[in-house]
Amino acid sequence: METTLPTDRRVAGSAAAPGAPRQQRLSLDAVMGRVALLVLLVAAASALQPAFATAENARTVLLAVATVGVMALGMTLVLLAGELDLSIGGVAVISGVVGGMLLRSGSVALVVAGVLATGVVCGLVNGLLVTRLRVPSLIVTLGMLGVLRALANILSGGQAIYPEGIAGYLWFGRGAVLGVPVPVWVFSIAAAAAVVLTRHARFGRALYAVGGNATAAGLSGIRVDRVRLLVFAASGLAAALAGLLETARLAYIGPAGFTGIELSVIAVATLGGVSLAGGRGTIEGTLLAALIIGVVNNALNIAGVSSYVQQIVTAAVILVVVLPDSLQRREREA
Amino acid sequence: MNLKPMVRMATLVRALSGAALVGAAAAAAAQSSVHEQLNAVIAKYAKVDEKSMTNPAVKAIFAKDGFAQELEAYPVGKLADGFVWKPGMGASFVGPFSKLPIKAPFTDYLPLPDGPVLDPKKTYRIGFVFHGFNHSWLVSLADTAAWEAARHPNVQIDVIDAQYDDNKMAQVIDTWVTKKYDGIVLWPMREAPMGPPVDRAIAAGIPVVSVDRRTSSDKVSSEVTGNFYANGVQQGLYLNQALKGQGSLVLTRKDLGSTADSIRAGGFLQVIGRSPGYKILGSYHVNSDRTLSFKTTADAMQAFKEVDAVYTAGGEEAMGALDAIREAKRLNSAPGGRKIVIVADDDSKEIMREIKAGTIDMVAPYTPLIGDLGVRAVIRHIGFKAGLVKEAPPKLILTPNLPMITKAKMTIEGVQTLTPDEWPYAFGPDKAAAAK
Repeated sequence: METTLPTDRRVAGSAAAPGAPRQQRLSLDAVMGRVALLVLLVAAASALQPAFATAENARTVLLAVATVGVMALGMTLVLLAGELDLSIGGVAVISGVVGGMLLRSGSVALVVAGVLATGVVCGLVNGLLVTRLRVPSLIVTLGMLGVLRALANILSGGQAIYPEGIAGYLWFGRGAVLGVPVPVWVFSIAAAAAVVLTRHARFGRALYAVGGNATAAGLSGIRVDRVRLLVFAASGLAAALAGLLETARLAYIGPAGFTGIELSVIAVATLGGVSLAGGRGTIEGTLLAALIIGVVNNALNIAGVSSYVQQIVTAAVILVVVLPDSLQRREREA
Repeated sequence: MNLKPMVRMATLVRALSGAALVGAAAAAAAQSSVHEQLNAVIAKYAKVDEKSMTNPAVKAIFAKDGFAQELEAYPVGKLADGFVWKPGMGASFVGPFSKLPIKAPFTDYLPLPDGPVLDPKKTYRIGFVFHGFNHSWLVSLADTAAWEAARHPNVQIDVIDAQYDDNKMAQVIDTWVTKKYDGIVLWPMREAPMGPPVDRAIAAGIPVVSVDRRTSSDKVSSEVTGNFYANGVQQGLYLNQALKGQGSLVLTRKDLGSTADSIRAGGFLQVIGRSPGYKILGSYHVNSDRTLSFKTTADAMQAFKEVDAVYTAGGEEAMGALDAIREAKRLNSAPGGRKIVIVADDDSKEIMREIKAGTIDMVAPYTPLIGDLGVRAVIRHIGFKAGLVKEAPPKLILTPNLPMITKAKMTIEGVQTLTPDEWPYAFGPDKAAAAK
């Protein structure tokens, strides 16, 4: 059962930092609930659609969730810090376009470095605007979304770029290591890194503290603005990485891509139990949520269900999962 | 007097005259051309309705999505001013926005000579508003509009991207009305929201021409419409030729309710609807989204182990589907080890490459290179209003039906296809050049 830090513990200068991660994690019940839902969905889909329960389809599902999953990891860090990043679609697009412009160099390393560096820089810009100018992240990142998309159009002339000429680039989307597609490896490694960061590193404790109570966190010695800056940089990096995976898989860098992706990513994080208010949630929850949505979409596509109905079903799944958590939290707070 | 030579001569003259007449008729028939040929094919299949469809799956989709009404309302007919279009016509230039080489097919349709138009002492301000400086089809549309305006030194054009925001487009139009622009050309994303601002412009005495998509205004000066019906019908014709009326199909369509979906898919289903041998495995809306098309087709490849053909409603749909099929290593997985037939719309250079490579089997062109036609139409309307032009352009300006493109030349129901090398009008960046 989830417990919250008693208010008398939230004392300025207290050695026990408020919002300590152990108390703010998704409860074991909530995680097991999501695992159970995933198992149930897989079982139901397998029973209803024989085509679902194959190794190849599992590979298809994992490939499909990799891009949104990577972005959701970055978004989770931002949400845990009590912030929001709506610019991820724009970051993914501009990073891809910058990579596309570097294709002429013929160097995979340079292209990939350019893509990822662009993402980090965009994230840092977001972070600096939030921390230095004190503009709410909703406003900053919404503005950045528009700016980055416009910039992508200007730099690309509104035209698609095809990275076919560099096989190394396409490997990120189409390659495999030990039979496992590269995007799945990237998602797995990114998730593992994010789990270590949030659970076992000092940064993770600081992150939850900032998200739980930024004032108290600051008073207890945590460098709040630094934490915020770093999570935005991480989110930018994740968006750029996701952009790399998807453009490599499609062999297509288009300035119109990733439209509306921010809402899908926030939905994944929310389904995973991350609180929009900050300080609550886990990477593990986000991971499970990405898989749940991936399984639902895949199963519905296999069943021939319209994409419009899929949107309703996905929203219903989110409500069904998130509602009990919210009600429980309300009861405890009352 | 020996009359035999005279008789022989007369016979020869008659024969030659007859031959000349036949030749002229044949030339006229050839000149009445692709547009009329495809109109005749459309007319043939337009008679196919739910009742006459013998394929229950096709019938069910046709009925459920209400295609009949949309198809009936879609304009099909003669070209304005008796224009006859032949492959090869049109001007070549570099797109002012895309900086790509363009050959626009209809620059001779409702022509205007280079140089000042109407009153040479006056500067005419024309507004061109559309959506999407981030999509090659739409950038190409803007390219042709800007090119046309640049041919006339006394025409000043403002090209505005309303960024897929109907409210913004309405505001732009209203601003031009306030500033008393001479003419407006628009590419409306949706019909209904653009009716009122167009009506306001017309009420202010400003001619308005829509290109490609339509508005809900019945006061609009002219509508330049595309050839969705010919697209869908030709996709059906090709499929019938390739599969002989038998096979399992996956459909990847555009947004439900959009004109592109209704007319293309509707026309396609009319052509295949009387072949009971087709099985529709899945009908998906992927809404011009390459990623969604990719993911949906990837899932469909898992769901269905035997797929004979994939119908795609546009370029993005086609490329997403093709890439998914390739990733699943299913390109040659149709029963009997045959290749999955892929039929597409929208003649981008990217698609042309795939046609040449044999991975996409046919594409029905839907050219964006019609912005110039819209600008010429609005200039003529301005001239007519000022008494400088005798006749206004017609309300409905149909663009010529275009023949499908296939790797090898073929003739299907009397319509000869073109090969990619015979189609200089493809739009967008060239994949091969971009890869260098």
